Amino acid sequence: MTLRPTTVQELQEAIPTQERWLPRGGGSKPALSTPRAGQAVLDMTGLRGVLEYDPGEFVLVAQAGTPLIEVEGLLAQHGQYLPFDPPFVEAGATLGGTVAAGLSGPLRQRYGGVRDFILGVKFVDGEGNLIKGGGKVVKNAAGFDLPKLMVGSLGRLGVLTEVAFKVFPFPKATVTLRVSLGSLEEAIQTLYALACSPFEFYTLDLEPSPARLILRVGGLGQALPLRIERILGFLGTSRAVERLEGEPERQYWREIGQLQWGAGHLVKVPITAKQISALEARLPMGERRYLSAGNLLYLRWPGEIAQLDQLLRSQGLSGLVLGGGEAAHLESPRIGVDCSQAFGHRVTQALDPLSRFAP
Amino acid sequence: MTASATLAELLADLARILPKERFLTEAAQLAPYESDALTAFRARPCAVVLPQTSEEVVEIVRTCARHKVPFTARGSGTSLSGGSLPVEGGVVIGLNRLNRLLRLDPNERIAVVQPGHINLRVSDAAAPYGLYYAPDPSSQPVSTIGGNLAFNSGGAHCLKYGMTSNHVLGAKVVLPTGEVVELGGESLEGLGPDWLGLFVGSEGLMGIALEVTLRLLPKPEKYHTLLAAYDALEKAGDAVAAVVASGLLPGAMEIMDNLAIEAAEAAVHAGYPTAARALLIVELEGEAPQVEAEAEQLSRVIERSGPYEVRVARDAEERMKIWKGRKAAFSAVGRLSPDYIVQDGVVPRSKLGRALAEIERLSQEHGLRVANVFHAGDGNLHPLILYDGKVPGELERGERLAGEILRMCVRLGGTITGEHGVGMEKKEYMPEMFAEADLEAMRRIRRAVDPLELSNRGKMFPGGEAPAVTAHGAHPLEQAGVISRE
Amino acid sequence: MQHKIPVQELGPQGEIMAHAVEACVHCGFCLPACPTYSVLGEEMDSPRGRIFLMKEVLEGNLELEEAAPYLDKCLGCVGCVTACPSGVPYGELISTFRGWSEPRRHRPPFQKLYRMAIQETLPYPRRFRAAAMLGQLGQRMKPLLPKPLQAPLELLPEALPMAQPLPELFPAEGRRRARVAFLAGCAQQVLQPNFNWATLRVLAKNGVEVLIPQAQSCCGALAMHTGERARALSLARNNLRAFSGEVDAVLTNAAGCGSGLKEYPLLFRGEAEETEAAAFARKVRDVSVFLAELGLEPPPALKTPLKVAYHDACHLAHAQGVRAEPRALLRSIPGLELLEIPEGELCCGSAGTYNLEQPAIAATLGERKARNILATGAQVVATGNIGCFTQIQTHLRKLGKDLPVLHTMELLDKAYNG
Repeated sequence: MTLRPTTVQELQEAIPTQERWLPRGGGSKPALSTPRAGQAVLDMTGLRGVLEYDPGEFVLVAQAGTPLIEVEGLLAQHGQYLPFDPPFVEAGATLGGTVAAGLSGPLRQRYGGVRDFILGVKFVDGEGNLIKGGGKVVKNAAGFDLPKLMVGSLGRLGVLTEVAFKVFPFPKATVTLRVSLGSLEEAIQTLYALACSPFEFYTLDLEPSPARLILRVGGLGQALPLRIERILGFLGTSRAVERLEGEPERQYWREIGQLQWGAGHLVKVPITAKQISALEARLPMGERRYLSAGNLLYLRWPGEIAQLDQLLRSQGLSGLVLGGGEAAHLESPRIGVDCSQAFGHRVTQALDPLSRFAP
Repeated sequence: MTASATLAELLADLARILPKERFLTEAAQLAPYESDALTAFRARPCAVVLPQTSEEVVEIVRTCARHKVPFTARGSGTSLSGGSLPVEGGVVIGLNRLNRLLRLDPNERIAVVQPGHINLRVSDAAAPYGLYYAPDPSSQPVSTIGGNLAFNSGGAHCLKYGMTSNHVLGAKVVLPTGEVVELGGESLEGLGPDWLGLFVGSEGLMGIALEVTLRLLPKPEKYHTLLAAYDALEKAGDAVAAVVASGLLPGAMEIMDNLAIEAAEAAVHAGYPTAARALLIVELEGEAPQVEAEAEQLSRVIERSGPYEVRVARDAEERMKIWKGRKAAFSAVGRLSPDYIVQDGVVPRSKLGRALAEIERLSQEHGLRVANVFHAGDGNLHPLILYDGKVPGELERGERLAGEILRMCVRLGGTITGEHGVGMEKKEYMPEMFAEADLEAMRRIRRAVDPLELSNRGKMFPGGEAPAVTAHGAHPLEQAGVISRE
Repeated sequence: MQHKIPVQELGPQGEIMAHAVEACVHCGFCLPACPTYSVLGEEMDSPRGRIFLMKEVLEGNLELEEAAPYLDKCLGCVGCVTACPSGVPYGELISTFRGWSEPRRHRPPFQKLYRMAIQETLPYPRRFRAAAMLGQLGQRMKPLLPKPLQAPLELLPEALPMAQPLPELFPAEGRRRARVAFLAGCAQQVLQPNFNWATLRVLAKNGVEVLIPQAQSCCGALAMHTGERARALSLARNNLRAFSGEVDAVLTNAAGCGSGLKEYPLLFRGEAEETEAAAFARKVRDVSVFLAELGLEPPPALKTPLKVAYHDACHLAHAQGVRAEPRALLRSIPGLELLEIPEGELCCGSAGTYNLEQPAIAATLGERKARNILATGAQVVATGNIGCFTQIQTHLRKLGKDLPVLHTMELLDKAYNG
């Protein structure tokens, strides 16, 4: 069964009518939006549209079902962007789905991820109550930080209806440098050196094989040539550096943002740079990319999910399957180490006492 | 069982965890813990305990939970919202001796500290690696990371890099029930729900952080700090809007009005132009070539905003001086008035001018002076309401004025607190911001985590404070035979 | 915060205290500046906590004896005054409070005797000299003595220099540029007479004629800071008379004495000599300030380069705001490299008679200071106070490092005279 509410009230009234609900936005992450037995679907695309946006405030408020492509288009008209750089824009991802999945993209390197830019939320809890948390200003310390709580909640705590974000001006000019390095180890050491340097990167991505760092630099056009020169000097003359600008650069990042490389399950793995070598030594396959100075791995896994689950466990890592392969039929999209704890159980219980949003 | 018998047992149990010199129960030991930096409230705890290890903290929390006695964690006691005000008759857990830096990994750019570690000391420790800890509340030479975390402290440099919660990656926490959990980790990314995000800023209502993993940032290569003096507050406000409209993203934008300038100047001799009606501080930071290019753009924007004087800090010392004046401004207002109330509202940046005009009107209406210091880039106002507590009725008038300012902030689409937290001070204003269903959801979360409402009881939620634990007569420890007075 | 200090009952002293207590906004900026808070980590051992305790005592909510142990632990270094954005005159508060409370205290007989012994000897060079000689005997018997008596012995030098009485007038060399009166200080006359001789030679070199009134007495700071108000008043009255002559300035080379003299207006608040004390205090200068203002005769270059760590005496830096001048004087010596001491604003633990009354905290602070000094890699320590000199030298030696500790004037003297 699928319900597509077009008002919040309709949504609130619907909640008590089913035992199990699964909220869904654009369906761009099938492993998270395909219902399991007994789950009815809440299609949130009926609650769409930007509600408030004043470029001078750096704040955008929209209904949760608003497609990212619509939001980004509006922001771009005013030279602004979502600094956490959500993926799957062209695949139809929505704001709400992005928050619930907790997804950020390469540009998160510069200012932070989705958790760092969400200012306010409205959501309907497991009993149909409409709850507001946070606000619509860039700084707020009143009440519990429910907006952050919703990041990555996968709809388990409630259905998002409205989200408010801090937005920033997009740099006037950007240049991307693809730097080839001799080995993974060398790439990681270079990544450390760059991440600790005062150079400011919009992206600091690592492709493990062949080892390559992908740096995007942005700012005022007149300062860029000197900045690039200094970065190249810092890297040393022996590196092969490929430079991307203009439309080819935009095209390159648009493609990366779709996370469409390779085949198999697409998995998000939070990680730290120091864990990369050990993981790489054991990963037998899969196209992959480490984002944000080695903090975020997006992996295409062509093998069995159970195998990856074991592998991640052995490295003390957890993952979230987003889609691809037979993702829709997985028992749970969460794989690897189980980080659940008492605090989480209690808060979940408080917001959804009847487990209406449980998988 | 009577309240005092319960208390006597609690104290006897606590005395078994801690040696006498770290277990304070005498009047002269308790009195100085009655208030934090918000002195409008005072409450006498039954004991102050000073644990030195995480294990001691856990034991103390478990003991309090067993005896159903409320407790309040306290760092340096610098909360401006009464966040570390004791519960009358409860236990104060002073965490300032848990102040070690446990680990600093310059490559991964993280520091792991105990909750009593002083904010500024993190940056000191990170400095040799060219790193720093970004959140910079004015209290940073004094306030602790534990307190910063509980109240999601902000500071002058929040616009670009966010508040405390954007710089905390992980925390080991003892829940009010005594269970110990790990929230977050070392990565900038996580798999949700963002439990850590909920814990940060929960004002001590969900337990006590025992270890905190912080994110460090590379120190900007260059700062460009500009000071512009205006003959009208509105001009400074318009300048902020113009800077933002030009596409610049400064690290900080601060405004001080004439009264605040006068106070800061008297306190630290920052060299501010004291005749100015308003002073705007704009700071650019980042890679040198970028900052230099931005500085040119900034000076053009500022020039058009009609300042009568513009200065640029020539070196690190001049920059420090400008910031020292700004950061001392709150306390410095103590020089202008025997008492004052610090407010902490936020309005949308475009409504700053309207908000300031409204504050001016309210100030005249209530017959009290208001000094304004604010993080203009965030729309975060800090009106300081000056009054004399010895003049009958002035405090009440001051409080009414403060309330009206907060209501105005909400009306303009803002919030009742940008960075000081709700604490004791603003809990009655929560319903201005949140509907009953919102508050009820937060209460449900609180009770799920802390069924007995022991952890920092009485903060954040309006009304309905659980009754204080009180005992009269001889100190319960005397009754229990644990202590005696000569 | 609501305040109910009964100012009427307490008189002029009450006004001083009430003003200070009410100025405190409890912000806590004083905490990291307070040496006892940094050692003990307890609110009642912080300036903010002590202000609160004094308020409670004055308002009658707390017994004086209950608060006293924490108030006694205050060094009076007034590091908090430097840190305080609200301008709380903490030094005035604690001195006045001690004066008010001392007669109301119930001290155990031994403590009374011990305190009296200090007050009766330290301020009188001849008695102090006799006591110190006796003390050297005592050093050999130290293990046999009760703990409280061991502390002062540790601070005594192994050999006392000969008594060298100062002349009534020390003439200027060359053209006379100024004429000043000089307060010789008590303890330093006995322990380090060269402080004064070096000072006189440096002043003479700079064309300053120095009068040393023979009728002068101890400045009274020790008594004032330990609550012996009557004794402080009597010493101060004597000095007002002794220094009544026409001079350009009244100089001292001891930080504690300088701030003591500058506190006369506070001491005489409500007394007949209030105006006279104010006029006197305006003339008081630390010798480093006076020389910096006068313009120093450029010293010749040192034969070998020297790394000097300058230690800020609390009663110069915090109490008198004198930081730049001694540094400027030292920097004017070619070949001298001036080094800053980490945690330089933190007291060394000497603080008048503090190291005699609270030896444990004083020793912790002394060792911390010694370690911070050693961290600079300096060859020599310079300071402008006899108490700091004794404390720092003692703790450097305890760490097995015997680098020389000199008065700022001694370094200048060496520069001028090779």
